[in-house]
Amino acid sequence: MDKLLEIKNLHAGIGDKEILRGIDLCIGPGEVHALMGPNGAGKSTLGAALCGRPDVAVSEGSVLFRGKDLLAMAPEERSHEGLFLSFQYPVEIPGVSITAFMKAAVNARRKALGQPELNTGEFLKLLKQKMAFVKMSPEFSKRDVNVGFSGGEKKRNEIFQMAMLEPSLAILDETDSGLDVDALKIVADGVNSLRSPERSVIIITHYQKLLEYVKPDVVHVLKAGRIVKSGSEEILRAIEKDGFDQF
Amino acid sequence: MGHGRYIDPFLERRPDYVIGQGEQLSLEFVILPGEDRSIDLGIDLAGEGASLDVKIVYLSGYSEKVDIKLLVHHRAGGCSSQQRIFGIASGSAQVGFYGKVVTAPDAQKTEASQLNRNILLSDAAQVRTLPQLEIYADDVKCSHGATIGRLNEDELFYMRSRGIPEAEARALQMLSFLSPVVPEGQQERIEAAVRSILPA
Repeated sequence: MDKLLEIKNLHAGIGDKEILRGIDLCIGPGEVHALMGPNGAGKSTLGAALCGRPDVAVSEGSVLFRGKDLLAMAPEERSHEGLFLSFQYPVEIPGVSITAFMKAAVNARRKALGQPELNTGEFLKLLKQKMAFVKMSPEFSKRDVNVGFSGGEKKRNEIFQMAMLEPSLAILDETDSGLDVDALKIVADGVNSLRSPERSVIIITHYQKLLEYVKPDVVHVLKAGRIVKSGSEEILRAIEKDGFDQF
Repeated sequence: MGHGRYIDPFLERRPDYVIGQGEQLSLEFVILPGEDRSIDLGIDLAGEGASLDVKIVYLSGYSEKVDIKLLVHHRAGGCSSQQRIFGIASGSAQVGFYGKVVTAPDAQKTEASQLNRNILLSDAAQVRTLPQLEIYADDVKCSHGATIGRLNEDELFYMRSRGIPEAEARALQMLSFLSPVVPEGQQERIEAAVRSILPA
């Protein structure tokens, strides 16, 4: 398998509005791709379409993930296959603790993969280890998911979940926005520690700060629902100098 | 806030419970799938400093009829009452809640709250709710509210994106919704009931 993700001519929209107008994108194992572009270009919609958000309707095109038809899978099946989306706006779930939430997630995944479920002791050990890794205070494990969290705490919780689920493709949707330098470094450390010859990352951003800590292999510019430019880090310098209008 | 003149609600019917000075009463009801149930209770907080706590949870997923009527009377001052009636209706269940809190003219420093929260899982299920407050004392803290809603779809997608299957995610949402009214020791029964009424 030479491609982890293969998107061909993807068209998708929300309601009557077409937002993605023919996306072609290939991501190989171990690669980090940055997806840049102005507001409204369709960056977040692409992440949502890949993860199967119900309000995003795909009208044309195909997506293969590890050689399988991603678009035919339910959102939970996409997760079990190894796809992870760090939400731009993480959702609050009153009444559900982080521990209950992650235990359900980890064990559903293990079950789907034919692995034995973790018992409470094994699970809590893993949880503590991953929380320490993203420098999250252990008291968060008892708190309701994202309820009353600051912006930075929510983003850190996304990276914690990513560390728990060890995806083969992580999509970070504006995970860097609104973070101070310390929080940004924690996010970057989390992403870098996950990097391996098999694991890949898509970083959706319109800033460049995170890309100083997580070096992308390929940079794409998305405008009006299409990828208008792909290349190396030099694109970042061009964007920094002259913005997105040049493309 | 009272409509017209105060009338003692227990002139025409007798209360089922009378709570005396400094006494506490706590009532819990669990109504499980398949159960038709009619609850009609009158409670009189008759002595100063009396307190009442009512928790009712219902889970109806077939063609049950559930009727809940609660009449709470604050006769004496300095009493507190809290009523929480939470439930989930699916299938073609019909659920009605009629609640009334009356605060007598002498019942100063009353604290009363009444909350009826309902989730509808199907189009054929029906919930009617009518919470009422009649306040004849002027120094009181009273609140009431009723909601009828559906499970939150953003929460559902967030959980599914983490690999939690749809049915399990819905069960987690329902259990968290009900958790404030689940009596101690009944967690497992409620969990089983929640799973039994999940839409396929």
